[in-house]
Amino acid sequence: MALTITCPICGKRNGYEFRYGGEDKGPRPDEAGLTPEDWCDYAHMNNCVAGVQKEWWCHRDGCGSWFTICRDTTTNLEVAEPAASAEAEAK
Amino acid sequence: MFSKKKRLLGDNPPLKSTYDAVIIGGGLHGLATAYFLATRHGMTNVAVIEKRFIGFGAAGRNTAIVRANQRTQENLPLYKEALDLWPVLTKELDFNLMFYNCGNLNLAHSEAAVKAMRLQVASAQFHGIESHLVDPQQCKELVPALDITDKPRYPIYGGMYHPPGGIVRHDAVVWGLAKGAAKRGVHIHQGTAVTGINVENGKVASVDTDKGKIHTSRVLNAAGGYSAALSYDFLGIRLPISVLTIQAMVTQPLKPLLHHVVSSGMYHCYANQTLKGEIATGAHMDAWPNYTTQNTAHYIKHQAEALTEFLPCLKGIKFMRCWAGLADMTPDMAPIMDGNDQVEGYYMDCGWGYFGFKSSTVTGKYMAEFMATGEYPEILKPFTLRRFKEHRLMGETAALVSYSADN
Repeated sequence: MALTITCPICGKRNGYEFRYGGEDKGPRPDEAGLTPEDWCDYAHMNNCVAGVQKEWWCHRDGCGSWFTICRDTTTNLEVAEPAASAEAEAK
Repeated sequence: MFSKKKRLLGDNPPLKSTYDAVIIGGGLHGLATAYFLATRHGMTNVAVIEKRFIGFGAAGRNTAIVRANQRTQENLPLYKEALDLWPVLTKELDFNLMFYNCGNLNLAHSEAAVKAMRLQVASAQFHGIESHLVDPQQCKELVPALDITDKPRYPIYGGMYHPPGGIVRHDAVVWGLAKGAAKRGVHIHQGTAVTGINVENGKVASVDTDKGKIHTSRVLNAAGGYSAALSYDFLGIRLPISVLTIQAMVTQPLKPLLHHVVSSGMYHCYANQTLKGEIATGAHMDAWPNYTTQNTAHYIKHQAEALTEFLPCLKGIKFMRCWAGLADMTPDMAPIMDGNDQVEGYYMDCGWGYFGFKSSTVTGKYMAEFMATGEYPEILKPFTLRRFKEHRLMGETAALVSYSADN
């Protein structure tokens, strides 16, 4: 079961066309007053979720755009964003 | 055939409500630590908690290669001692670990790579580890099947020959250490999952498992590929780790032709010939974190191309089996061995990436010392988790390859 990624511009493509860009850790911390600990936390530390995580990807061999998706790291399958799917269920 | 519990050690011993130490993970690092706790420190009231069965993870999925030709001053003494331990343990465990020190040949495919190897050889020699720089002709003498012409895409410019390295039968090490530890009273609980670690007043108080609660003041996280996820789930401690799938495969059996372990950083390929005649070979890691342990056609193709580039006689040979395991990579390709820092009594031995097999026994020895005495052994100190916050990353990333996501 190889990985496929859905690029917002090019659509669903082979995962090897993409470059993984890390876990979605939110916006880059403000540089004013940034401690080495906080920067290390942002740059290096990961949750390493065995399950669904939101993450960055770049369509390196395609349009070059950066975007986020949700993926189950135990199956390599793209999934809907957990919050969004809960909302859809509520409707 | 692959029952969850009855692998080698039969039924689980009864789960006690209190142990002096609990080790999460029945892989080589966990079993080795338990063995050394029991034999060197008289701590026999120890439980090894393994979710599946011992040796299920990376302990049985690595390509069995051992060597001590790493690059940095911090790593070399550790791996040297690891290499020296194989014959000692074979005797001590009374179990044939099938240590075959056939030597390792690392190939260089550029002037720059030869230059880097010159430094690596000098560092090894400085620590009393046998390692030599060899030219293409000497490579050919070591492995006559090598193509040293300018025909391959990346021709061979030289190599680094490290005679004390070789291969060890990885399953035998699992069985030997497990039997040795169990014989001395260590409880190995297979098919048992740890579900939580409870902390009281900043100290480890107990461990929850799916078979009941265990009171203990010491817990070692040696869960390999799952260590980072457990650390975050149980204690909220995030680690600088990316968990990547690494793939391996073996060819059909052939007559003996590869008398040394051969590896190439440029092709990202390493191979040895097993005593059965199969060429066992390992490939790249997936470039994104995942816990699937799936093989992909992409890397089987890559591996076939890489192998036949420098060993053209393998053209037309078939791969028989393939498998994959998890590698918990750190940004500086060096492990994290730490304890008593954020939480007293919480020890971790993780981030080994794909170097976990060759280091397993020596790490077990020092982590056991650490857990029994509470004193951080000198040799482990460079591997503290704090090095990332203090920006003291180690220079083990020899080929300028970083497997973390932020590369």
